[in-house]
Amino acid sequence: MPADAILSLNEIGHRFGGLNVLRSVTFDVPEGGIVGLIGPNGSGKTTLFNIVSGYIRPLMGTVAYRGVPLLRDSIQKRGLAGLVRTFQTPQVFEQMTVFENVMVGCAKLTRTTMLQDLLRTPAARGQMRDIRELAEAACERFHLKGLRDLPAASLTAGQRRILEIARAVVGKPRLLLLDEPSSGLNAQEIENLRDWIVRLNAEGITILLVSHDMGLMTVAHTVHTLYFGEIVASGDMATIQRDPRVREVYLGV
Amino acid sequence: MTSRLFWIAVALAVWAVLPFVVPRNIADLLVFTGIYSIAGLGIGLLLGHCGIVNLAQATFYGLGAYASAYCTVMMGLPSAVGFVAGAVISMALAYVIGRPILRLTGYFLALGTLALSAIASALFFEWDWLTGGTLGIGGIPKLDLFGFVLDRPSRYYFFVWIVAFACMAVARNLVDSRTGLMLRAMRDSSTAAASLSIDLQGLRTRVFVVCALFGSLAGSLFAHHASFVSTQSFTVDRSISFLLIPVIGGATSIPGIVAGAVFVTFLPEFLSKLGDIHQILFGLALVAVVVMLPDGLMGAVGRIRAWHVARRGSDAG
Amino acid sequence: MTLSLVLQAVFAGVTNGMVYALVGMGLAAIFKGSRVINAMQGEFSVIGAMTTVLLLTKAGWPYPAAIAGGALAGALVGAFIEVAFVRYMAKKNASEDSFLLLTIGLALTLSASILFFVGRDGHLLPPLGGEGVLIVLDAVIQFHALWLIAIGIGATLLLRTFFHRTTVGLSMMAASIDADGAATTGINVARMRTFTFVLGGVLGAAGGILVTPLIGVDYQLGLNLTLKGFAAAVLGGLTNPLGAAVGGLTLGLVESLAIIGISSSYKDVVAFSVLIVIMILMPQGILGRAGRRGG
Repeated sequence: MPADAILSLNEIGHRFGGLNVLRSVTFDVPEGGIVGLIGPNGSGKTTLFNIVSGYIRPLMGTVAYRGVPLLRDSIQKRGLAGLVRTFQTPQVFEQMTVFENVMVGCAKLTRTTMLQDLLRTPAARGQMRDIRELAEAACERFHLKGLRDLPAASLTAGQRRILEIARAVVGKPRLLLLDEPSSGLNAQEIENLRDWIVRLNAEGITILLVSHDMGLMTVAHTVHTLYFGEIVASGDMATIQRDPRVREVYLGV
Repeated sequence: MTSRLFWIAVALAVWAVLPFVVPRNIADLLVFTGIYSIAGLGIGLLLGHCGIVNLAQATFYGLGAYASAYCTVMMGLPSAVGFVAGAVISMALAYVIGRPILRLTGYFLALGTLALSAIASALFFEWDWLTGGTLGIGGIPKLDLFGFVLDRPSRYYFFVWIVAFACMAVARNLVDSRTGLMLRAMRDSSTAAASLSIDLQGLRTRVFVVCALFGSLAGSLFAHHASFVSTQSFTVDRSISFLLIPVIGGATSIPGIVAGAVFVTFLPEFLSKLGDIHQILFGLALVAVVVMLPDGLMGAVGRIRAWHVARRGSDAG
Repeated sequence: MTLSLVLQAVFAGVTNGMVYALVGMGLAAIFKGSRVINAMQGEFSVIGAMTTVLLLTKAGWPYPAAIAGGALAGALVGAFIEVAFVRYMAKKNASEDSFLLLTIGLALTLSASILFFVGRDGHLLPPLGGEGVLIVLDAVIQFHALWLIAIGIGATLLLRTFFHRTTVGLSMMAASIDADGAATTGINVARMRTFTFVLGGVLGAAGGILVTPLIGVDYQLGLNLTLKGFAAAVLGGLTNPLGAAVGGLTLGLVESLAIIGISSSYKDVVAFSVLIVIMILMPQGILGRAGRRGG
């Protein structure tokens, strides 16, 4: 494992029922990089995401995060260590406002005990103030100001996706896992998204990106192609697009 | 804002005068309303902010009541010891039982808590060396605040309601805090909440512990009011009627909890004037509320208000 | 602990277990057909048993006719509950919790109605097969208990045939697995739901009528039977009515064997603790995933 890998997947294998959804998947995500994952539907991308973020325990293989084995850690612990994901179907807190949604993303940055919250001690109040400020800034940055007080249930699919990303980023992740972030977005929103990914990366956030969107995928430094649970090609986007196997299995030409 | 302050002042004035102008039996019911509000408040937190149906509150209510009864009558200790002992035992039990049982969800959790209440009620009955069984423990002293004995309903009323208001303030704090934020997030989508490092089990358990604390407090207050406690007061039926408080009133609203407590204390009393049929009518009233007002009374008030505003808006436009 | 004591406990366990099984099968059938946990399942038992008592003693019907009347009462109340309340709330997409609260409210109402119209007293029914007893190795078994067990087994087998062999049973299964899909193939989902409530009502009433000669029936019996029936259904995997039969027998046996060691007054404590532990440790029920296919 190279010293600069923030995430190392080693020989990951998984089955649902009799179906091998992942077969000895091995790759590294270098610290500070943008790594892309492409592949047709059902090729195992989301399963891989679920394994890395802790929603599924794989049957085979190991995952190391910053050099330490990850698979025994809970979802929460992974999040506290800076590993945060978004979902293929955006998971917003529907009955809460946009602003409150973003505030939830900051909640893990502070620590109050239940007793402090019950008694509303100065510490608890101070932390709420900090959370509000952070959330305010994030709303500004992701152009959510105008939607600030709307319930998240009323957002469009594209707005939900952006809210989800804002909510993930506000918690200061080290490694951000984005699952199909551009689906449901219009051209302008995709342009913004691209911009944000590049800038977040420049701020030091490593990004693992799953997407169908070849245009968006060009932000990735390295792209791995999954096909029926196996990596069939790796390289930068230009290389991938030239790879005959990828053209055959994925682009269908 | 000023009109809001005005209404709060009016409500406070009514609250302060009420026990002196109503007959003694109504004052007595008002004391119970306060006690039930405290117990219902905890269930409201679980129901409205965590989506948890708690049918075990009579367990903690009973623990509080028996702790107060046992400490004061059997051991001759000051009443404060009973309050604290009940609270500590209830919270410890809620923590130990809550951790495994709160892994259940939905129906399973609801019926798990119901089973817990049934177990507790059976144990209260069996452990008569501690609880006096069906004969109960009598002669629990009235509370004595630095020489001022709270021996009439009108006096105890103020004490109970001040405790209730304090509990409501604490509950409000919790809802407005970072914890409250995380609770609502968890209720809306536990998947996403987990991905944002929210410790679902830990939070649920802690709110359950707070709920148990309120239950125990209410139980201790009840013991000192009734002067007598026996197993009949801590059955599964009592757990069900505690759950009705936030269900009827509206779980996320504090006035709703009070409205629910008024409903479960006053309605049976008024219906009982109609004779033995009152229990049937109470059951039907409950069914009607569940069928027609899914968000409780306060939800209905909110909808009427929204409808009014919308109508006024369209009139203006 | 002598052999006859154990044998006695086993017989008692199987007898009680059969009653829990009947109540539990009704609960599971309703859950399967409507996704509603029926917290008034035990009230079906009370209604069935009370109707039989009244028809027998007040109206002077012959015993078999009174029993049929009791079962019919369970069916009618089940149908009424579904048509009058559940259907309306299902149309409004009411939450799981509202259905639970609805059935709790109905349970309170029915129990209060029995108290009001019939009174506080407990009632017994004559045992089936007379007062005779069978003595095996010093263990005493009432003939009635044998009848109860036989009828319970018969009902379980009948239910199995119903779900696997008849058009209505298969349609009920289809409607519960995929309501929209079933509707497109021409199955009337609402009517199937009514049927499941009728079935639940009959099974509950049967449990109540059969247990009354042993322990009597009063207005308070419902809640306890609901909880025991729920425990049986959960043990069997909840969505599997036949699993509930296995669950009921297991619960009955655990209960009665456990109280050989400790005081019999801890029977309910043991049963409900088993329920909680099973729910936490074995959410699929004791039959596991395999059991789910059974119903």
